Amino acid sequence: MFALMMGVAGIAMYYVARDRLVENVDRSLDRERDRLIPKHSQSPASTTSVEQAILRVEAGRTITDKGHAIFGGDGRQTFGAVTLKLPNDGYSDVLFREGKASKPREARALVVPLADGSRLVVVSHSEVVEDLNDVLLPLSLALFVTALMGGLLATQLLGREIAVRLQQITAAADEISRDNLDSRVPVDRLDGIFRVQAQSFNRMLDRIAKLIATQRQFSSSLAHELRTPLTRLLGILREGGRQDLPNHVSNILERAERESASTIRIFDALLRLSEIDAGRHPAALRKISLAAVVDDAIETVEPVLADANCDLKVLAIADVTVIADAELLVQVLVNAMENIALHTPAGTSAEVSVFQDGKEVFIRISDDGPGLPHEQLETVLQPFERGQASAHVKGNGLGLAVAQSIVHFHGGDLRLTNNMPGLMVEIRLPMVPA
Amino acid sequence: MKLLVVEDDIDIADQLAVGMRHLGHLATTARTGAEALQATKSDDFDAVILDRMLPDITGDEVLRQLLVRPSRPPVLMLSALGSVSERIQGLQAGADDYLAKPFDMEELAARLQAITRRSVGRESEGTIAVGALHLEPAGLRACFKGEAVLLNRKQYSLLVQLMRNADRLVTRKMLLEGVWGYGFETTTNIVESNLSRLRTKLLELGCEAIETQRGSGYVLRSLSCS
Repeated sequence: MFALMMGVAGIAMYYVARDRLVENVDRSLDRERDRLIPKHSQSPASTTSVEQAILRVEAGRTITDKGHAIFGGDGRQTFGAVTLKLPNDGYSDVLFREGKASKPREARALVVPLADGSRLVVVSHSEVVEDLNDVLLPLSLALFVTALMGGLLATQLLGREIAVRLQQITAAADEISRDNLDSRVPVDRLDGIFRVQAQSFNRMLDRIAKLIATQRQFSSSLAHELRTPLTRLLGILREGGRQDLPNHVSNILERAERESASTIRIFDALLRLSEIDAGRHPAALRKISLAAVVDDAIETVEPVLADANCDLKVLAIADVTVIADAELLVQVLVNAMENIALHTPAGTSAEVSVFQDGKEVFIRISDDGPGLPHEQLETVLQPFERGQASAHVKGNGLGLAVAQSIVHFHGGDLRLTNNMPGLMVEIRLPMVPA
Repeated sequence: MKLLVVEDDIDIADQLAVGMRHLGHLATTARTGAEALQATKSDDFDAVILDRMLPDITGDEVLRQLLVRPSRPPVLMLSALGSVSERIQGLQAGADDYLAKPFDMEELAARLQAITRRSVGRESEGTIAVGALHLEPAGLRACFKGEAVLLNRKQYSLLVQLMRNADRLVTRKMLLEGVWGYGFETTTNIVESNLSRLRTKLLELGCEAIETQRGSGYVLRSLSCS
């Protein structure tokens, strides 16, 4: 854009310069005419007197940029050292030759009518005007190219400067979102619009921090407000259970007690989910052996699967190092394997394997049970979603959501795929050198 | 046991006091942190049940002031703040145990027993023993009357919990927390399934010490280990 403007300016400059030069030349043509035709004569001068004047003037000069010619009334040239076609009266741009052989050259011409209908042509050949075309056009072109290059370079440099500053802000923002919402983008190293932007970004963080504080306050008060009456309720139900009551009444009390307890469990799971999502779970992140975690989970669940008459096969377990909270990871794996015990019929076989791919490690827990319809593979990872077929099975529908949150917290991903037949839980985690 | 119940909610305080008396304990109640600090100064208690949110000072603050005294009763923190991080904060503040509301009276009693009474078992130089039953941590082995059996880590940890609390009720929840960690959630019978494997292993040694308390947990009988 800048280069285009410069190009337009160059062209405009060319025309202005040319106009001024042409004007100068035209004035010199006027002076030449005045030299040949005395100003005070009222009537047009006679051809003969002009011819004589020309000869006189030319004789007195050695080097001249003026040429003269006289055309008869029929338009044919009758006199003069230069040859050209008769232009219109007044000033015009013409081509002329000096002598017979020379190349046609550009010039300005002034045509003055004489008394007998013939015309005097004064030609001013100006090197300047001729050169102007040769010089100014390439000059403006050069200007255009220079401006283009300069513009591109400036854009590049400016772009890089902007990128560097944006990178500073982005890096700070990433760090904040990863680690804690209490820190802010440092503004002292920034200036101008970037400072303003960083400040506005910080204001947004203030707002988010406030919202989160409110939300935490809300969850914590909700926990308190709900737990306290539920504790009272449970106390009353248990008190009732101790009384000597008819069987059907104590059964109702028992059921009410169980339901209150499960309400609290759902509540706990929700709190836990939000805690992990907000990165506030007290995780002890350290370098650990993934194989040890997998062993731990298998040891834990193996008897549960055996009691549910499911068979667990442990395939190749790659021993890689991950940065993780061992307890949380065991929780994820146990949860995935517990689902097999809960949601598949007796006789189901399950397999666990761990393999490395590039800088990532994949843990696969698969079974040959009934699996899930394709459209539920993603939705069951949402809080409170469960597979339709398992609606009657216990569980609060938060297990997989919690597992997913834990895996995300570790920079990985959990997904469900069809195992044809059955279900496969695949957990991807980033690896670190041992 | 002589207990101090520090709880500002009258209903819950009453339930606690009645429940504890029902289980054969003496219970005094305090409504505020200041009352609690005063009561513990003038009287000796076997344990304190401390609510975390009190109207005057927080349970954490009460705990801090108790901790600087030359001697203090063990404290079980009882709180509506049930998230894992809050439990860990409570324990880090110096509580001997932490139980979230709503709680089971038997659970509470079992935990109070665990933090007050001295262990029946002997624990020295990395080995734990109850009667003729002892553990070899290095080899994850349980030995009984000259015979040994290899346990896996879960079975071993479960047995450690039971032996440390020999002759006392260890609830399912206590075992889950002790073996798998505070934040561990399960939807299946992980404790029962693993414990039944442990019991089978001990039976191989001729040891029938683990008793199931219906609905609440397990007790390792020291008499059955002799």
